[in-house]
Amino acid sequence: YQRRVRGSYIALHSQIHSSCFQNIYLAGKSITEKAVNRIVNGDTILIFKKSQLILHILLEAKAQNKEFKVVVVDSRPDLSGVSSCERLTAAGIPCSYVYINSSTYIMKKVTKVMLAADALLANGYVLGPVGTAMMGLIANTYNKPVIVCCETYKFCERVQTDSILYNELADPDSMLKTLNAEESPVAGWRESPNTRLVNLVYDTTPPALVSIVITEIAELPCSSAPVVLRRGAVKM
Amino acid sequence: IDLFVRFITLSRGQNAPSSEIDILECKGFDPVRKFLVDRGNLFMKRLKDSRRKIAQLAYPFISDGVTVLTVNMSRVVLEILMKAHEKAKKFKVLVTESEEGPLMVKKLNDQGIQATLILDASIGFVMERVSFVLVGAVGVVENGGLINKLGTYPVAVMARSLNKPFYVAVESFKFYRNYPLSQLDLPNDAKYENAEDTKHPEVDFTPPKYINKLFTDLGVLTPSAVSDELIKLYI
Repeated sequence: YQRRVRGSYIALHSQIHSSCFQNIYLAGKSITEKAVNRIVNGDTILIFKKSQLILHILLEAKAQNKEFKVVVVDSRPDLSGVSSCERLTAAGIPCSYVYINSSTYIMKKVTKVMLAADALLANGYVLGPVGTAMMGLIANTYNKPVIVCCETYKFCERVQTDSILYNELADPDSMLKTLNAEESPVAGWRESPNTRLVNLVYDTTPPALVSIVITEIAELPCSSAPVVLRRGAVKM
Repeated sequence: IDLFVRFITLSRGQNAPSSEIDILECKGFDPVRKFLVDRGNLFMKRLKDSRRKIAQLAYPFISDGVTVLTVNMSRVVLEILMKAHEKAKKFKVLVTESEEGPLMVKKLNDQGIQATLILDASIGFVMERVSFVLVGAVGVVENGGLINKLGTYPVAVMARSLNKPFYVAVESFKFYRNYPLSQLDLPNDAKYENAEDTKHPEVDFTPPKYINKLFTDLGVLTPSAVSDELIKLYI
């Protein structure tokens, strides 16, 4: 019996490992290949906060000696864009760093927007870190192509048209960190009945705002992403 | 060419014989060759039928008293208009000059359809009097966008601006597996006729948001359905 259990454990382990390898690592490589083709010399690419996949794409493009600049848009409270910026400048890619408040200002100077998704819903909506929808909307206003990079394992049967139906809350106290060392004026928010701190994690971007979704299977328009799901192309 | 090759080699559409699997496992080249030739013949047959099918689908959109705007010469559009005329609809056609506009006007007039040639510059002027725009295509791309003769994009933007429907009549073999994000993303050999003369491109790209419907031999599609069809064929 022990041997059987161990055998099935090994089988499960190898299944998980190979699934991870295929769906995440190899998918990432395939997406990188396709996405790097979209980057041309002279581009200014806008990215939002930190995404392993997007960073991988940009570093690969640099490795292929493409000449381009990156604008990193960051937002509180986690400020993960800082580490994005560090990695990119370490690779020799010229980087600009702005807060999300100035995104309308720099959007004019940008040629492409590359966003990562946490999930792609069945109605074509893109679930991403909060602020992604803003990037999509502003990019559309300035007529810049929005490229969303998403592996197929992130495709989801859920349908959502807004960020309120389902969302997650992160630690509200992290919003208390101010840029100068002063104590935040809302530090006593738990005692006050009128004050709530809401640190949303996700938001949804409508498919109309996205120019193209790059997955490892194909480059698709955002509204067709669920079709791939229907066709059973997502093998779990 | 691209689509033809894919059709005969890759497609596992409804017409694929159930013995396809046997063929692929077959030893020897002859059955495979026969299969390819059969697929090729099917493709040619479909080609000839497609324009007729499109005209059949599209002519109901032309009712009495409409004014249709079209860009340049397109045999598919010509077929649709001829079909509508055959069904005794009374309508007017405005054709932009472009490169072969006069030829289109002549062909329409020969059929007894009232056609007027207009300057490309006057599309703003005429758009308010137009009922809808119907154009042909050089190609349709993966997101449902349109590649057509230079001058189509401004017409599409103008039509959208004045809320006029913009229809595209295109055979399904013109669907390309290409995904341009901007005008410059089109491959150079599509844009220019000869490599030396790169001053004026031959074609421009109309993004899918300006297109209302596409009349194809696969049916009347919306731009997002185009990618669905392509996925069905190739993924």
